[in-house]
Amino acid sequence: MRLSFWEITPVALFVVFIAPVAIVLVSLTGDYSDNWTHLYQYVLTRYIANTVYLVTGVSILVTIVGVGTAWLITNYNFTGKNIFEWALILPLAVPPYILAYTFTGLFDTYGTANNLIRDLFDLGREFIFFPKVRNVPGAIIVFSFTLYPYVYLVSRMAFINQSRTMLEAGRTLGLNKFQTFYKLGIPMIRPAIIGGLMLVIMETISDFGAVDHFAISTFTTGVFRTWYGMYDIETAKQLASLLLIFAVTLILLERYSRKNASYSNAMSLYKPLYLTKLKGIPNILAFTICFTPIFIGFLLPILELSYWALNYKLDFFNDKFITTAWNTFYLALIAAFLCSLLAVIINFSIRYKSNNYLKVMSSFLTVGYAVPGLILAIGVMQMLTYFDQSFISEISNFVLTGSIIGLVLAYVIKSYALASSTIESGYQRINSRVDDVARTLKTSGWSLLAQVHMPLLKTSFLTSMLLVVSEVIKELPATLILRPFNFDTLAVYTYIYAAEERMYDAAAPSIAIVMVGLIPIIILTRMIRTSRPASRD
Amino acid sequence: MTALEIKDLSHFYVKGKNVLSNVSLELEEGEILSILGPSGCGKTTLLRIIAGLEKETGGSILMNDQIISDHFHTVLTENRDVGLVVQERALFPHLTIINNVMFGVVGSKSERHATAMRLLKLFKVERYAYNYPNEISSGEQQRVAIARAMAPNPKILLMDEPFGTLDQSLTNQLRVETRKILKDNKTTSIIVSHDFDDALSMSDKVIVIEDGTIIQSGSAKDITHISREKSVKFSSIKANT
Repeated sequence: MRLSFWEITPVALFVVFIAPVAIVLVSLTGDYSDNWTHLYQYVLTRYIANTVYLVTGVSILVTIVGVGTAWLITNYNFTGKNIFEWALILPLAVPPYILAYTFTGLFDTYGTANNLIRDLFDLGREFIFFPKVRNVPGAIIVFSFTLYPYVYLVSRMAFINQSRTMLEAGRTLGLNKFQTFYKLGIPMIRPAIIGGLMLVIMETISDFGAVDHFAISTFTTGVFRTWYGMYDIETAKQLASLLLIFAVTLILLERYSRKNASYSNAMSLYKPLYLTKLKGIPNILAFTICFTPIFIGFLLPILELSYWALNYKLDFFNDKFITTAWNTFYLALIAAFLCSLLAVIINFSIRYKSNNYLKVMSSFLTVGYAVPGLILAIGVMQMLTYFDQSFISEISNFVLTGSIIGLVLAYVIKSYALASSTIESGYQRINSRVDDVARTLKTSGWSLLAQVHMPLLKTSFLTSMLLVVSEVIKELPATLILRPFNFDTLAVYTYIYAAEERMYDAAAPSIAIVMVGLIPIIILTRMIRTSRPASRD
Repeated sequence: MTALEIKDLSHFYVKGKNVLSNVSLELEEGEILSILGPSGCGKTTLLRIIAGLEKETGGSILMNDQIISDHFHTVLTENRDVGLVVQERALFPHLTIINNVMFGVVGSKSERHATAMRLLKLFKVERYAYNYPNEISSGEQQRVAIARAMAPNPKILLMDEPFGTLDQSLTNQLRVETRKILKDNKTTSIIVSHDFDDALSMSDKVIVIEDGTIIQSGSAKDITHISREKSVKFSSIKANT
């Protein structure tokens, strides 16, 4: 049987995407060094305890904030509701490490907030009003107020799709408004909440920048220190494998929970919810509940960063900033273009060949999104080192390791899931009969893709590129490890300054990262508005 | 000359549950055949197999006495020289009407343009040549879809419930016009429908399929006589197979 390009490409990509992960996992079967014994005896328990503490705290807080705000926005009319509806997503533009930097700048002993209190009340320098934030509770707040939008978004979509009739049935059976919320509203959207929560947990366990800045020992900081402190790549890989197994277990648990929970509206006729108008104290309360997460997760860091940028570093648009910004943008654009192109090719292959094994193969390609950037970077680096040593050094002086190729490869693997889901939803809007007709008009393969599909997928392709660009710009650990020598991106630039406690210098690149991060949020907001089943008002 | 010959064609998705069983038929050049049957009887599957969009599990298909599909050979859809019209019309939304019709035509740009314009005039939609599909009515879209399928001058034109979504008066008008154009152009055609009136007013030959097997075949008049009652039952089923 002769295989075509459309069948070979998914297989080839599968090998390239899975190889870095497999390289890391294979380390578990190798020898364990003295460093491993040291880690096992003295710090592994702390890594696990801190990670579990962090994940539990963040999970509870994001559920309260995300679900609570989504319920209010979907069911009530109150002051500022129309703005909160989209503004509650804004903290997604702020990576946790940037909020961590601004938190320390604000709440450290001589931070902006403590200084303000001292100045306002004419207190001495020894007076400290705000408690320390460089600890696990501080990190829980940082992660929760930057990541809750994941839970907010899925809960909001699920609440929107909840039919009024079901909730009204609850009221007629004697439940008050609050009981309707937690006895009916919440259980009915549980699968959606778990889905959103899973994304939050993955982001939390993958993070390096925030926990490193707060000096909290977790798996990611442990992997980094083992590699760069002990220079022991094998032990770092073994440690990373444990984190990877944890991540995969979470994904499997989430899939399993979804499999057993199909809470759809299929059996009841959908009727949109009525909005209840809030007045007086309930109105103020609802306003405060929705404003607080936006304030902590978005306004506070933006205000603090702008204050630093304007007061302390007026020349922030210097040569270094421009070079770094340029590095970041062209890298992000290359990765975004490649990622989106591959997503188009793979999704086209599945549709064109209507082959089940291609579908299964393609689902494995999205695995990169669940793999922490740090682990992916280790795997990619090992893979490139193998290529360099085995045959590239024989034929040229070029070295893959430490080149932009490795960085782009890691970005593509990490962001492929984002691009693929966007292109997939674009394809769902193209009737398969269009393909049938095109084929009878002698159009197949590349010409079908170029002449029929690409013009129809234009918007999805651009959306995919924007999503990947914003993801790549924020990516820190993979960039730190894989970047070429003396090559900085905005995220690295921010990290280096923050690590040196030069927060004012970190302000300009941080603002740039947040601004780029706002692009997909604007797209997301528009998508949510157009996907609403019926007007609530 | 036999334009299409199907011999003992069978098809299944799940082994042991045949969608089509031992279907055989012949179609002469310029003839119009209607395939009638209720939803789920296998008529659309038969059309898709003739188009090459699905591969039969048994039997063979010949076009102009050349095997296009059997156990050993499969000519790809794009090389079969068939035209396809579907109920959803599936016009390319990013192309103007004229570009939709020119899409499958080969030759110089002026030749392709002339062919497309000729067909648009035949179907009385030439004034929309530079409009986009979403700017014209569903009846006009259907005319364009048939024109587009005829434009490359296919050996066989396949139409799957071509008037399924149109209102009755428009359907009656289009049936008459389309038959005239197909006959004038000597286009060999197969129309899949669950509506008996489609078969009666458009075709020379009719076959009736039930549970994947041909239960009746003959001229439109013969079928009218035999199974008018049965087909009324089909007409009440709106869903496509």
